[in-house]
Formats: sequence, C-alpha cells, structure tokens
Amino acid sequence: MADGAVKHDYHLVKPSPWPLLGSIGILLLALGGVAYMKGLFGIEKGTIWAPLPGFVFIVWVLIGWWGDVIKESRGGDHKEVVQISLRYGMVLFIASEVMFFVAWFWGFFEMAIFHDLRASGHYDLANPDLEALKGWATWPITQITPEGPEQIHTFDPFHLPLINTLILLLSGTTVTWAHHALQVGDRKSAKWGLLLTVILGVCFTALQVVEYGEAGFSYDGSLYGSAFFMATGFHGAHVVIGTIFLAVCLFRLMAGGMKPEKHLGFEFAAWYWHFVDVVWLFLFAFVYVAPHVIWPGGAGVH
Amino acid sequence: MRSRKRLFAALPVLLLGSGGAHAAPVPGGINFQAAATDTAQRVHEFHDTVLVIIAAITVFVTALLIWVMVRYNRRANPKASQFSHNTVVEVLWTVIPVLILVFIAYRSFPLLYEQDVFPEVAENEVVDVKVYGRQWFWSYIYGEGDEALEYDSNMVPADALAAGQVAQLSVDYPMVVPVGKHVRLSVTASDVIHSWAMPAFALKTDAIPGRLNQLWFKVDEPGVFYGQCSELCGQRHAYMPIEVRVLPEDQYLAWLEKSKASVADGRAYLDEVQPLGGSQLASSN
Amino acid sequence: MSTEAHHGAADDHGHAHDHGHDDHHDPKWYSPSRWLFSTNHKDIGTLYLIFALFAGIVGTAFSGFMRVELMEPGLQLFDGKAFGGFFGNEHDYNVITTMHGLIMIFFMVMPALIGGFGNWFVPLMIGAPDMAMPRMNNISFWLLPASFFLLVLSMFVPAQATGDATGFGGGWVLYPPLSGTAGHSGPAMDLVILSLHVAGISSILGAINFIVTILNMRAPGMTLHKMPLFAWSMLVTAFLLVLALPVLAGALTMLLTDRNFGSKFFVPAGGGDPVMFQHLFWFFGHPEVYIMILPGFGIVSHVVSTFSRKPVFGYLAMAYAMAAIGIIGFIVWAHHMYTVGMNVNLKAYFVAATMVIAVPTGVKIFSWIATMWGGSIEFKVPMLWAIGFIFLFTVGGVTGVVLANAGVDHALHDTYYVVAHFHYVLSLGAVFTLFCGWYYWFEKIWGVKYNGVLAGLHFWFMFIGSNMIFFPQHFLGLQGMPRRYVDYTPAFEQWHYWSTMGYFVMLVGMAFFFLSLVEAAIRRRKAEANPWGEGATTLEWTLSSPPPFHQFNDLPRVR
Ligand code: HEA
Ligand code: HEA
Ligand code: CUA
Ligand SMILES: [Cu+2]
Repeated sequence: MADGAVKHDYHLVKPSPWPLLGSIGILLLALGGVAYMKGLFGIEKGTIWAPLPGFVFIVWVLIGWWGDVIKESRGGDHKEVVQISLRYGMVLFIASEVMFFVAWFWGFFEMAIFHDLRASGHYDLANPDLEALKGWATWPITQITPEGPEQIHTFDPFHLPLINTLILLLSGTTVTWAHHALQVGDRKSAKWGLLLTVILGVCFTALQVVEYGEAGFSYDGSLYGSAFFMATGFHGAHVVIGTIFLAVCLFRLMAGGMKPEKHLGFEFAAWYWHFVDVVWLFLFAFVYVAPHVIWPGGAGVH
Repeated sequence: MRSRKRLFAALPVLLLGSGGAHAAPVPGGINFQAAATDTAQRVHEFHDTVLVIIAAITVFVTALLIWVMVRYNRRANPKASQFSHNTVVEVLWTVIPVLILVFIAYRSFPLLYEQDVFPEVAENEVVDVKVYGRQWFWSYIYGEGDEALEYDSNMVPADALAAGQVAQLSVDYPMVVPVGKHVRLSVTASDVIHSWAMPAFALKTDAIPGRLNQLWFKVDEPGVFYGQCSELCGQRHAYMPIEVRVLPEDQYLAWLEKSKASVADGRAYLDEVQPLGGSQLASSN
Repeated sequence: MSTEAHHGAADDHGHAHDHGHDDHHDPKWYSPSRWLFSTNHKDIGTLYLIFALFAGIVGTAFSGFMRVELMEPGLQLFDGKAFGGFFGNEHDYNVITTMHGLIMIFFMVMPALIGGFGNWFVPLMIGAPDMAMPRMNNISFWLLPASFFLLVLSMFVPAQATGDATGFGGGWVLYPPLSGTAGHSGPAMDLVILSLHVAGISSILGAINFIVTILNMRAPGMTLHKMPLFAWSMLVTAFLLVLALPVLAGALTMLLTDRNFGSKFFVPAGGGDPVMFQHLFWFFGHPEVYIMILPGFGIVSHVVSTFSRKPVFGYLAMAYAMAAIGIIGFIVWAHHMYTVGMNVNLKAYFVAATMVIAVPTGVKIFSWIATMWGGSIEFKVPMLWAIGFIFLFTVGGVTGVVLANAGVDHALHDTYYVVAHFHYVLSLGAVFTLFCGWYYWFEKIWGVKYNGVLAGLHFWFMFIGSNMIFFPQHFLGLQGMPRRYVDYTPAFEQWHYWSTMGYFVMLVGMAFFFLSLVEAAIRRRKAEANPWGEGATTLEWTLSSPPPFHQFNDLPRVR
C-alpha cells in the first residue's frame, strides 16, 4: 500500500503496453526473418515482405514508447536523479555496442594476424577443403569465384575512405558546435549545426554506398569480404541510426523542444554519434589502412 | 589408491583371453582405462596427485562444515559472537591455495609439453597416419601418392558382432600401427567437427574441417584399444568408434602390404595374428 | 548496518492500510494490465519466477528423457518406435540435449536468479522504490517468452533443407559447421539463433537496468561498501552480461549470415575458421557460467549470515572476490578448447589463468564457513540449501581445477567427467542457491508461510538424488564415456543405471517442492515481516510481507 506521499525524485513509470507490444514485434520480426531466409509456416523462402510486419510493428512501438518518454520528460518526470540514471543507461548501452563491434574486429584480426600460421600446415593432402586454404598464405586472402581462386583487390584507403573519415570527423565538430550553441541558448546556430551534422551523416552513407558498389570483392566470396562488409556494414547501419537519431533531435529542436539546461535526447544522440565516429577511426586504421600498408600489391580499385 | 588402480588396470587383461594389452571400459570402472603409453601413464600419475589434493580440500571443507554445524548450532552456542575479521586466516586461505595451485601447475606444465610437443626422433622411428573424421566414420590414410593405403573404418553393427568384438566399439577395419614407433596422426575432417579420442593413450584431438591437428603416441606392447568420436557431429555421433591395433613391426608391415592389395585381406591377416580372445568384455556382463 | 525507515516499515504497516489511498490505487492482483503492462519491479520479478518455474519443468522433463534413454545400453526412447515414435530417433536425442542445456541456462537459472530474485530484492535491499527504468524492465521480461517461443518452435521445424528431421541437435555450444549449412540446413537452427539473440537483448537491457539502479538509486547513506552482498553479486553479474553477451550476439550474427547470405566466417572453403566461432562463443560462454553462479553466491552470503546470527565474515573481501572472479572470468575462455589444436604455449597460459579463479572462489567458501564459525546456527530450510551448496559447489569447483589442466583435459574433455563437473556447479550449485533464495524469500514474496517439513523433504531428496545422478558420472568420464551419446557400450551401464535412479529420487524431491507450493497456497498462513529474527538485517525485512506495492516512498536512511 502506498504509504503517504512520495518523497523522492525517482520516476515511478505508469503501466505501459509498449514492452509487451515491442516483444511481440520482435517475435514477428524474427519469424518473418526466418520465413524470408528459409521459408516457414507455408511462406516461401525469399518472400521479401515476410519480415515487414514485424518491422513496422517495432517502428510503431518505438515511436509510441519514445513519444511517451518525451511526454514524461515534458511533464517533469525527469528530475535530476532520473537524468543521471538515463545517462548511465546510455553509457552502458554504448559499452555493449562496443563489445558487439569487438566481435567483428576479433574476426578480422584473427584472419589478419594468423593467416600465415594457419596456412603453414601440410597442404599436400588431397583434401579439397585444405586445398582452398592455400589462399590463406596471402593477405588479404584470395576469394573463391566460379572460375577458381582470385586475388582480392582491396580499397585504397586514401580515396573515398579518407574522404569519409574527414566527413565523420567534421560531423563530430558540427554536432559539438550545435551542442554548445544549444547550451548557451543560441537555438539558431544549434539548428544549423545539427542540420549540417545530419547532412554530413547522409553524405557518409551515400559515399559508403558508392564505395560498396565498386568493391573488388564480395561478401560471400571469402573471409576477407565477409569480415570487411560485416564490420563496415554494421558501422554503416549505426551511422544510419545515428543520423535518424540526430534528425529526430533536429525536428524536436525546430518544434521548440530541447532546453538549454536539459536536452538528454540531444546529448545521447551526440554521444552515439561520437561512438560511431570512433568506431570508424578504428575501421579506417585497421580494416582500410593497415592491410594496404602491409600488403600494398592488393590495392587496385580507386 | 595405487593398488586399486593396478587392480582396475589388470581387470581387462584378466578378462581378455589372448595376451597383449587391451583397453576398453570395464563394468563398474571408476578410474581411467589402463594406460597404454608412457604419456598416458604420466597423465594418470598427475591426475592421481591432483585427485589426492582435491579430495583433501573437499574433505577439509566438509570437516569444517561439520565442525561448525556441531559446535556452533543454536543449542551448542546460543549466543553468536559478532566478529567479522581475522587478518591472519584471511591471508592464510589466500596464500595456501595459491601455493597448492603453483604446485599443481609445476606438475602440470611438463606433462602438457610432453604430450603436445612431438619429440625429436629419427625419421625412421616415425609412422605417419592421416585421419579423416566424416559423418559418420573414420578414414585412415597411410603413405602418399600411388603408394598410399586409404580405407574407411565403420562401426560393426550390434547384430554383426563377431566373437570377441565389443558392442559400439569394434570396427570393421581398425587403424593398425607398429609397436615402439612414434605414431604421428594428422587429423582433419571433411564435413563437421569430430574428435579422435583414445582413452588408453589419454589423448584426443578435434578433427576440424580446414585444419590439421597433430597427435602422437608410442605404444610399447601389442594390443587392442578402443576410443570413440568425442565431438558432437550429428545423428550418428555415438556410432563412429575408433579401434587401434598395435602389432609388432613385421606384422604391421605385412598387414600394410596385404591391405594395399585388398583391405579385406588385411583384416583377415589381422584376425590371424591378433585374434580377439574368447571370453570378452562385451559378454562379461 | 542499521537502518531507520520511516514509512513502509513493518511496524507502522498496520495503519498504512487506513490512509494514503489518496492518489494511488494499487491494482488488484487479477487485473490483467497489472501483469501485462507492469512497471513494478516486484511484479516483474514474480513474472520472471513463474516463467523460470515453467521453463524449469520443461528442462527437467527433458533431462528425464535423456536419463531414461541412458538407463541401459541400446535405444529406449529414441529408437523411432517407442510411444509411437513420439521421441523420434538419435537426432532427436541430440535435440533434447541441446534444448535441455539452453533451457536450463537461459530460461531457468538466469531468469530465476537474475530476473526473479534480482528484480525483487536489489531495489528492496538498496532502499530504492523501484528499478531505474521500470518500463525497460518489463520488456526485458517479455522478450523471454518470445525467445522461448522461438526456441520451442525450432524443435518442430525442419532440421535440414530436405528430409523430415526436425529441431537443432548440435549442442548448446552451437559449433559450426554442424550448426552451419553443412550440418543443419533447415530453418530450425535459424530459429535457435534468433531465439538467443532475443534472449541476449533481454539480458543486456536487464543488466543495464541493474547497474544503473545500483549505481544511482542506493538509499541515502548506503555507500557501495555498505551495500548488501546480493546487490554486489548482481552488480558484477550485470557487468559480465553487458560485456559478454554482445560478443555472443556478434558470433551468432556471423553464423546467421554464413547460413543465409553466403559469408565465410566459419566456412573453411572460403578461408573462414570454425575455431574462431569457438573463441567467440567461449569468450561469452565462460563469463556466462559465472553469471549463473554469482547471484547464488550473493544469496548464500545472506542466508549463512542470517541463520548464524552473525555479520558476513570479511564483507569487503567477499565483494572484491566476486569482482575478481568476474574480471578473471574474461581471460580464461579457451580452457574449453584445449583439444582444438591450440598452440601449446597458449594452452599453458589458459591453464594458469584458469586455476587462478580457484583463489577468490576459495576466499568465498572459507569466508562462509568463517561466518558460521562462532555463530548460533539455526538449521532452517534455507540454511540447509546453503550448507548443501557450499559442499556441492566445492566438489564441482575442484573438478574444474582438474579440467583446467590441459594435460588431463586432453583425456577428459567431452566426457561425462565434464558433465559431472558442470552439473555439480550448476544443477547442484546454481540450482541449490535458487532454492536457497526461494525458501529464504518465499514468505516475503508471497506473503504466506510454507510447510517446513515438506521443504525439508524437498531438500533431502534433492541432495541425495542429485548426488546420485552426477557423482557416478565422474567415473563414467574417467572410463572414457563421451558426452552427447544416445547409446553406449555395455560396460558403462552400471553407473548410468545409478545415475538414472538418482534422477527418480530427485523427482521425489521435486514432488515435495510442488506439494509445498500447493500446501502454502491452500493454507495461506499469513507471513510476518521478518520470520528469521535478528540475523536478518537487510532492508527487505523492514517491510511487510509482501511489501507494499510501492515501497520506500520516503527513502530509508542508512547509517
Ligand atoms: C556455474 C557454472 C560453472 C562454474 C562456477 C564453473 C567453475 C569452474 N570451471 Fe567449469 N564449466 C561449466 C560451468 C561452470 N564451471 C560448464 C557449463 C562447463 C561445460 C560447458 C560445455 O562444454 O558444455 C564447464 C567446463 C569447464 C572446463 C572445460 C572442460 C572441457 O570441456 O574439457 C574447465 C576447464 O578448465 C572448467 C574449469 C572450471 C574451473 C577451474 C572453475 C572454477 O571457477 C572453480 C573454482 C572453485 C573451487 C576450486 C572450489 C572452492 C575453492 C576452494 C575450497 C579453495 C581451495 C581450492 C584449491 C586450491 C584448488 N569448467
Ligand atoms: C543450469 C543448468 C542445468 C541444470 C539445472 C541441469 C540439470 C540436469 N541435467 Fe543437465 N545439462 C546442462 C545444464 C543443466 N542441466 C547443460 C548446459 C548440458 C550440456 C548440453 C549439451 O551437451 O549441449 C547438460 C547436459 C546434460 C546431460 C548430458 C547429455 C549428454 O551429453 O548426452 C545429462 C545426462 O544425464 C543431463 C542431465 C541432467 C539432469 C538429470 C538434471 C537434473 O538435475 C534436473 C533436476 C532439475 C532441477 C534441479 C531443476 C529444477 C528447477 C525448477 C523446476 C525451477 C524452479 C524455479 C523456481 C523455484 C523459480 N544434463
Ligand atoms: Cu563424429 Cu562425433
Ligand atoms: Cu569455463
């Protein structure tokens, strides 16, 4: 039983349908995904729209859920102590994302560092599996094509990737500009800074799409291709999410939301953006530059 | 400890009609299968040492528990004291386990290196066999090129067991190696991961597609040894056993020669020079 | 630690009923929205417990199928004929084994200890009104039934692109190529992957919630160094979850795209390496085993202290031992992979690192005993489970030290010795702490008393039964009996037989467990705020049983 008045600042959230609905959405997405990939419940394999209901469902839940959060924030539920909680939460979420990327980097480094070691076995065996591994002796490894093994040509890091690096770094500064402007109440500059950041984010994604189109290797051709596209692809997905996040903040800013003294949504978008930025620097250094430097012969494209 | 171990080591030999070493699980056995190699012997010794240590630790913990339950229950000690620190014991129970572990490690590392590192021996002391794990049988390859002998080794189904064969363990075409040589296996797989395991040698290594793992052993007595696939590999994982026959070198060479002509001839020769004894493990329970 | 809680405290609960209804109306227990849309940590905790109980029954049934199959050589259940072919063939044995492992770990132990007790008692113990993010707390829960649904569904969809086998039978460790297209080309494995993805999201969100709650919502005066050990254990566990699970998610994603989009991460023909999956899996998998035991460590500390009427011995060392176990837990993973053909120096490193964990664990064992030492011990039911746990966990822990030595592990890896080891630490370790917490907090959670005799019988039958199940498995393992075998050579029969008999003894114990539930539900003896007396010092005992819907509206002050 409630014992008297609430004398603390914590936010006791009202019952909400979103968690249950969100979980149903995720279930639908998973089922739809399997239906698309393998066929399920009589749905043909390869049915593009199969995951769609779940996806739409989830987007609806996210809008509803975060919409509630914004309403509660406006309603004064996010007292100082609640804000601290939200900050910790965001930091931890980003920490878990970092560990997610650790998996891709792990795969990449294992291949990069140990390819020689693995290739130095006894490959005179008449084993087609082992035969294929001769490719390991080179770096990046060869890829399998219908015509047989073929040397991979990696990207020259100092063309598009370098431009992209600059774009991201620049966007890091524009988002900081916007943040500072908002803090001192200069909403106009804040909007410009944010708008620029979003545009830069879109540019990055666009250039990445262009780059993918010119790749001299494929996702399903070899471990190198898989590792490259998985790492940069997941990074790309994070850029897109981050851009949307920033765009939402921009809309809220234009709609009069976000106060100089309290704008957690903005802060989190900025943190997220910096995280995406740092991941890119690692990708640039290790996935693009390092192989290029160590094994210059492979660079052909661009 | 020791004597019990010797008893269990002796058991299979007692049960086996013919001479020669033999290792297979025994009904009710509670320890390792008899060691067939020096390395396995060393593994057993190490395990026995650690077993004594861990048994002592467990007994010690149990004794403490019993003591506190007897001495400090509500009736025996109605008034609880309230201490919660004692630096001396805290240091002790940190340092003593460290020392114990250092001791275990000191015994453990040499064993590990002995097992893992192929000893430097003359080429003619080495016999190479290539081993493939496949769903769900093993293939063995001796030699290379045109001279190579390659054959598959399948489990003998329960209804086809000949006298002396062991259910789930005997195979149609065992792996055969000579006595006293360093046998070096190169193990890989062609579909999913399997694991070539031989308890009597205290060894196993995974057979992994795309990798080549090595394993070595040296058996000093002729004998029959059984092992089983030890990595889950699908439906018939339980039905791809390993049988190793160790023969005197001349017999081994003869077997090799015969098998190259026809694996069935090789098998017949094997049954001739190393018949499985009359009273067998399988029938003993 | 002494506390002074003004409101919501047990002693003024009597009149709390009469006033304070002005703005809040506590929902009725049968109101659907109370459970479906819950944002209350206690209700969500209860949901977790009920879910875990349900999943535990499924997992226990599956272990029964395995035990009956293994009772004698030859095929009993999985021969394609028994019970009209209900159990299917050897493949289905593998499916059952896999599901047993996954269900017990992800849907029984973790939801019960972390989701259930963690949700219930972390806020109560640290003097917080709720979790930091109550709505996120609820999705952490609801993702589990979704995940469980996917897992169960996987058992009924094709294993292969062709043929009529169903379900994924590749072990809970999901090693490719068996879990790849080469081994299971059908949708079953994809469902397993997505199921674990969803369970992983659930756990990560839950873990973030715990860390934030503990770091930010401790009652005034409760410094980290005054915080109850259960909260400490949850803090460390939550960190392990946040750092380990995403790596599993990464590995699973690679597996998924290997299966469906042609990537080559674990496909040797494209330069990939199946062993890399094992590294990624165990980088998660080893911390995972501590995730399952640390909350139990916390519970046992409280129970031992409560029933000895003594403060926990070496409180700080206990807290930091858990932190040490958590940290070292991240650098020992490859002790599960001694036979994959690792470099010998690397093996030596993992041997050393692994054995180090015995030291902080020993500190915990000895500190529990020292807590009892000089105490005035009362053998109430929770204390039986706690003492049983200390003994059984030691047995399981020391066999872990044997396995840590690669030299012997070459012989014992993937044998029943390993099965015995991990059931001693899990089924007799984690599960004993689960029941320990269950009986310790039962009255607090449900507001009614249980029958001590039934609960005691539950303990004794479980104790004897579980030992009977798993002790003989050491012998089997030493003799060379491999894991995940549906059938075996007759020589192994004796110990398998005893193991299965032990299972039936254990079942009797579980029957008493369910009886005690029914008995308590029928009798409805009203529970007191603190049934354990002066030994029980943490904040949850200052509240009524069950506690008010919203506790600590006025925060307690800790001195
Ligand atoms: C709760 C779960 C849990 C816990 C706590 C542990 C704890 C430990 N485990 Fe276990 N383990 C598993 C669950 C767990 N394990 C599982 C599920 C598997 C199999 C997975 C699979 O393949 O399916 C496994 C497998 C496993 C292996 C791989 C075996 C193989 O597959 O070949 C190894 C090898 O090193 C190992 C070691 C250890 C060690 C050293 C500890 C240590 O933390 C134990 C420390 C405790 C003590 C030592 C006892 C108390 C200490 C003292 C009283 C002090 C004095 C002691 C000494 C000086 C020794 N475990
Ligand atoms: C927490 C984990 C856990 C638990 C509790 C258990 C419990 C049991 N397990 Fe095990 N088991 C595993 C984890 C677990 N297991 C894993 C990971 C594997 C490896 C899988 C693989 O190879 O891939 C395995 C494999 C495994 C095998 C090997 C199969 C093989 O290799 O072929 C066997 C064989 O006997 C077995 C038997 C049993 C038995 C008889 C129990 C009995 O102890 C069961 C008794 C039941 C309980 C003790 C739990 C009761 C609890 C509840 C009902 C919930 C209560 C909830 C609340 C109060 C909220 N299990
Ligand atoms: Cu082959 Cu298991
Ligand atoms: Cu481990």
